Amino acid sequence: MKTIGLISANYSSSEFGELLENRSLASLPYGGRYRLIDFALSNMSNSGITTVGVIAPYDSGSLIDHIGIGSPWSLGRKSGGLFVMPGSAYGLQSVGSRFLLRDLIKSRRFFERDDADYVILASSTDVWNIDFGPVISQHEESGSPITMIYKKIPKGEDYYGYFLDIDEEGKVKSINTEGYAWSNYFTDCFIVDREYMIDFMKWYETLEYMDTVQIIRDNMDTMNIDTYEFKGYLGKIKNPVDFIKVNQDMTDYDIRNEVFCNIERPIFTKAQDEAPVFHYKEADVRNSLISAGCRIEGKVENSIIFRSVNVGKGAVIKNSVIMMHGEVGDGAVLNNVIADKYVSITDGVKIYGTKDAPVVLGKDKKI
Amino acid sequence: MKKKQCIAMLLAGGQGSRLGKLTTNIAKPAVSFGGKYRIIDFGLSNCLSSGIDTVGILVQYKPLILNRYVGTGESWDMAVQDGGVHILPPYASETGGEWYEGTADAIYHNIDFIDMYEPENVLILSGDHIYKMDYNIMLTEHLDNNADLTVSVIEVPWEEASRFGIMSTDDEGRITKFAEKPKKPDSNLASMGIYIFKWKVLRKALLDDHDDEKSSHDFGKDVIPKMLADKKKLFVYRFRGYWRDVGTVKSYYDSQMDLMDDMEHINVFTKDQKVYSNSNFYPPQFIGPKANVSDSLICNGCTVYGSVSHSILGSGAIVGDGSVVEDSIVLPNAKIGRNCKVKNAIINEGYETEDNAEIGDPDGEVAVFGRAKLSI
Repeated sequence: MKTIGLISANYSSSEFGELLENRSLASLPYGGRYRLIDFALSNMSNSGITTVGVIAPYDSGSLIDHIGIGSPWSLGRKSGGLFVMPGSAYGLQSVGSRFLLRDLIKSRRFFERDDADYVILASSTDVWNIDFGPVISQHEESGSPITMIYKKIPKGEDYYGYFLDIDEEGKVKSINTEGYAWSNYFTDCFIVDREYMIDFMKWYETLEYMDTVQIIRDNMDTMNIDTYEFKGYLGKIKNPVDFIKVNQDMTDYDIRNEVFCNIERPIFTKAQDEAPVFHYKEADVRNSLISAGCRIEGKVENSIIFRSVNVGKGAVIKNSVIMMHGEVGDGAVLNNVIADKYVSITDGVKIYGTKDAPVVLGKDKKI
Repeated sequence: MKKKQCIAMLLAGGQGSRLGKLTTNIAKPAVSFGGKYRIIDFGLSNCLSSGIDTVGILVQYKPLILNRYVGTGESWDMAVQDGGVHILPPYASETGGEWYEGTADAIYHNIDFIDMYEPENVLILSGDHIYKMDYNIMLTEHLDNNADLTVSVIEVPWEEASRFGIMSTDDEGRITKFAEKPKKPDSNLASMGIYIFKWKVLRKALLDDHDDEKSSHDFGKDVIPKMLADKKKLFVYRFRGYWRDVGTVKSYYDSQMDLMDDMEHINVFTKDQKVYSNSNFYPPQFIGPKANVSDSLICNGCTVYGSVSHSILGSGAIVGDGSVVEDSIVLPNAKIGRNCKVKNAIINEGYETEDNAEIGDPDGEVAVFGRAKLSI
């Protein structure tokens, strides 16, 4: 059965300060060489989906620069391929779900011109590696027009968003926001019959200012919604604290293997071509991810270093994320710091954030 | 289509048998180099930085990895409309099929290909040399001299001169004598196997050479001596820089250690004349909590739990817990198990060692271990 994909990137958050000053959350650098949207795009591509729409955010420059015509995800195609569609001027702020109905209606042609049976709608900022194949198969058998993907999480864990109350047959009974009481966390990704989606947009046209999942929640009694359980890793980033944590999750053997080292489903990104990393004699790197083009003379621990970062002699970097082209001077000390692209730290400067309040250094900053 | 001033023909068909196990199932130009590169990257990247966007790659020996690696040439910005890379294997014609019998014969069989682009000049390259060079400077000299052929040469130590093709020149740089591996060299200018020919002149020379039954159809042995004898205008272009023909396991090892130990030699970190590769889909390297990495080049996709010093780890290589890797080169996707000792060794591509293995002679010559595993 033919499936197409639609990725919503038209939302932002005010919690990231300078990190999102000139970019969308979807194009936030992550994991040493990626942007968050790489996961959604790679998941679609690895599941054999060859027509993918992206609803662009208002501040779309860095996102469009990154995804281009979609060739890294095999989406630079004659038939199908990547479609970038402008989102509406006011995208969603960080709320439960990410599918502003107005944006879907604006992209109506994307749904109408294709003859696919199903559409997978996914948000653009989650870190996960999922095979949509089994989701599509289960959806096909279920007879429901919508299947929502959820993950069981331990009660009390600090997730935000929607939680599903599911009956014995696996159908959704209700959708709730009081997460702490529920453990079926909605991944902000669902599959829907394409024709049903077209009808849905007509039925609820007057509610175009609302999020699609919110509309589903409010009209549960008229809908038959199936569920699919995702059992893998799901990294959600809602603020700088999560950002460091979800980056550091990739130093965990099992998580890294699942997300990054799956030979059948690699995560693709725009190709950069940097030299191998040179670790000098004095270098001391522990439990960290280092990307190509770096030259390391100092100490790096529990940190993520993007490409072409220079770490000077005697410098110490701990629990930090240093984005591309950073310069960390000799003897500088960084702890719980997020440094955006081209940040330059002078010799000997010491910057300490804390686990709960990391220091964020904006692009091009010199300290 | 625009006519080309100069297109390149890159000879990539040789086996490189002196590289032993490295070329058991991989053509020499496709052998891994410097962690994330393959040898052919240097020639292709030089073309890119010299503005040459049309390259024919002549393949013959075990070209599968090479063909896949080069692909559309996109990695070297050569996926262009009016040029690009072309893989040129031997092919059959009305009179049957033939293998390429020598360097000149390989070009002879592709005369029609070169004619399609109607170039003024043709640059002949070897796909197995390590160097950075701007061919434009050589081309400019070639044009200024109105030369029929310009041979790129490099000064070699006199005691080594008898291993090379040696050019003697007059004061203007015009070649007066060419001697292949002379016992008593009277010059120390060695041919680097890089030639720029006027296409019209080369075309005729190739046709003549093909008809010559005594010829071994080699540029160095046959075509160039004949052109010299015919009083064609042959000039040298003096290249001053790092250049290595990595013909043996030792030179293959040494030149990679050069790349790491002295970045003045062939600095892959510099942005000018950058060396490009097609190996960029790996995640960042992971250095484990108890790992110890020093004085080493480590690529994307590597996972290191053990200790690595003065070594190069290729893309996707793994070093297990408790293992010690010293003075070694671990090729892409090779896996060193736990508690291994690796010294003075080259571990072949995709090869997986047992746990507790001791590999390499700590006091002896560098050697290659394992058979390369072909994968994508």
